[in-house]
Amino acid sequence: MKRRAILAFTLDHPGVLNKISSLIRKKMYNVDTLTVCRSRIPGVSRMTITLRENDQERVDQVTRQLEKFTEVISVKELDTDHSYWREVAIVKLEIEASVLESFHGRYNFEILEQKSDDIHIVQVAGSTRRIDAFLDEVGQQHVVEIARTGVTAMEK
Amino acid sequence: MTNGTGRRLLSVGDSSAQESDEQRIFMNGKHLLLKALKERKVKFLFGYTGGAIMPVFDEMEKVGQFEFVMARHEQGAAFMAQGLSRASLSTKTPQIGVCMTTSGPGAMNLVTGIADAHMDSVPMLAITGQVATGVIATDAFQESDVVGVMMPICKQTYMPLAAEDVEKTVHEACYVATTGRGGPVVIDLPKDVQNQQVADDYKFDAKTFRPHLPGYFYTPTPERDPVRKAIELINKSERPLIFCGHGVINSNAGELLQKFVEKVNIPVAFTFHGLSAFAADHPMNLGMMGMHGTVEANRAIMEADLLIALGMRFDDRVTGKLDEYAQNADVIHVDIDSSEMHKNVRATVAINADVYRTLHVLMGDPMVTCTPRRRWWDKLNSFREVMKEDLQEEIEVGVGSDNKLLMKGIIHRLSEVTGGKDLIVPDVGQHQMMSARFYNFQTRNSWFASGGAGTMGCSLPMAIGVKLARPKERVWSISGDGGFQMNMQELGTIMEKQIDVKIIVLNNGYLGMVRQWQTFFFDGRYAGTPMKSPDFSLIAAAYGIPYRKVELLDEVEPALKEAMACDGAMILEFICDPAEVILPMIPAGGGFGEMMTRHPNAPEKNQPKQGEAA
Repeated sequence: MKRRAILAFTLDHPGVLNKISSLIRKKMYNVDTLTVCRSRIPGVSRMTITLRENDQERVDQVTRQLEKFTEVISVKELDTDHSYWREVAIVKLEIEASVLESFHGRYNFEILEQKSDDIHIVQVAGSTRRIDAFLDEVGQQHVVEIARTGVTAMEK
Repeated sequence: MTNGTGRRLLSVGDSSAQESDEQRIFMNGKHLLLKALKERKVKFLFGYTGGAIMPVFDEMEKVGQFEFVMARHEQGAAFMAQGLSRASLSTKTPQIGVCMTTSGPGAMNLVTGIADAHMDSVPMLAITGQVATGVIATDAFQESDVVGVMMPICKQTYMPLAAEDVEKTVHEACYVATTGRGGPVVIDLPKDVQNQQVADDYKFDAKTFRPHLPGYFYTPTPERDPVRKAIELINKSERPLIFCGHGVINSNAGELLQKFVEKVNIPVAFTFHGLSAFAADHPMNLGMMGMHGTVEANRAIMEADLLIALGMRFDDRVTGKLDEYAQNADVIHVDIDSSEMHKNVRATVAINADVYRTLHVLMGDPMVTCTPRRRWWDKLNSFREVMKEDLQEEIEVGVGSDNKLLMKGIIHRLSEVTGGKDLIVPDVGQHQMMSARFYNFQTRNSWFASGGAGTMGCSLPMAIGVKLARPKERVWSISGDGGFQMNMQELGTIMEKQIDVKIIVLNNGYLGMVRQWQTFFFDGRYAGTPMKSPDFSLIAAAYGIPYRKVELLDEVEPALKEAMACDGAMILEFICDPAEVILPMIPAGGGFGEMMTRHPNAPEKNQPKQGEAA
């Protein structure tokens, strides 16, 4: 299934998130990721929703129905070729410092804390695929805990 | 404005403590709520009181400018409000229907009526009391998460948390409910906010107030480009067909549509909610389309090369199987709601605008040509003949098995004796389709029914709202024995308020529409459809409403005339044949090619017509 990112600008009112997630549920999607933040304009929130759907017509209908909500100001689907999709992961790793060192330069990460010789808390930023690749290369067996923000996206 | 007076008196009040106190009492949430409703020209409040809404009711009594209509169940109040909104929109004084209930069970009993209004794009305002803000979300007595429940089934929900927000919320709610595609709006008002005083410097002017809604769009005026493309398609088309939907009724465009089709010579098929936009016996009227639509409307859709859909949403009961629907036709889709575009049927030209304005533009454009389209009309007229004889025969004979009455015969006779001029409020089921098909509508906006939601029991309370909106016209509530018993308690409101609604109960001892499906698709196993009814004469007597039972064909017309002559409400019960079916029928999910025009168990006759009927 093709992954879609939908960008929505909404009023920062209670219940808006509820409405949007209800609509996505009603349309029988499982939300892949959903991030909300303040926008440049006071009182306006910015939401990035990702879900999986192959049929363009259905995605268009979701965006039209989202736009119909009184609190939703504008909605747009962002395609992968013309936008940046990024997320951040905080990962607690049990790994030798020297091994971790070898990833420098190839991945965009920062060591937030070294708790002991081999316990590190690192922050990795990048595309979903890039973070997945980092984790795979480090080796899932070294991951103690992981927290990911979900995707936020911006048009080029 | 009372605002200005109020402020002045508040400051003057310093010298007279008593005057100040009196004035302050008026500047609280409950008063501002009623003040805003009054400014919105609300006259009727339908509802039921209870703990969390008592302060508003008390204030209503004090203000004394509203007519309160007490329903006997909150669902009834919701349908009364719908009836008022719908019937009044074509009058000189359109009103928004308002229902008002308490928290918890009171609000929850509105759910069906609100969901129904949402499906049928009916503007209405529901005001529900809520427990005090201090105890919200503690499972307080009669607390329900009203906003949470209503959100998916209404256009917008509000919960003002301060008395200062009440007035502007009511004005915004009415604006949202009645503009663009109409819909129900809920205001959930906590009890402490009802009693809360506004700050001394509170100011509000309804005349200059504009709601701040940067995300609320509707575009009534059509854009030039799609209109130009639409005109090209219309001029090019050999077999065009116009669809008249609810949007035509809602924008009061019936008269304009009639002029337009007369000018451009294009036949019109009606959606269920489009009925009564113009006369049913107008030569360009092909009748209702869809599952139980006329043969001519449905065949026309199959053969057309251009569909011009005005204010409709291509519901599944209209289209049947989507991938077989109007395969060879271009589609011009006019609707005020842009999210309806391409939802079920891909439009060749999408015009996101108000139907009235779009027709107005098309009407005035000299580029639109008129062609005789003789071959198209010949074809349509031949479709008109397919079931004509059978139906005429059924109507004339008027009785079915065991000499019991046929619903279509009764509706036909009702249409005759009223000249097709009365307001019709059917319930949901077989009798509803009979009413849609066999009443000869002559009055614009005279058909009020539950379409999208198909709520049984809507008729009796909705008819009350319709009658209050149009007191000079005669209103018929037509129900089956099933639906009538779903909101029968509203006879209490009719009794108390002396509301003149003529009530027809078509009693066939079954849930007729489901029975029909069981006959056709479930080998005649009548599971859950037979129904024993009480003695309706005693029910009528209990409410002091005149009653007549009709079992013979000869008695039908006299009984209808008796009800018409009766000063006030009357109940007519007709004993009907349960075996009667409404045809044609396109089975659910079927294509138009599968349209049944004869009862599958009917004896073979008129061999030559078989080809047509296939």
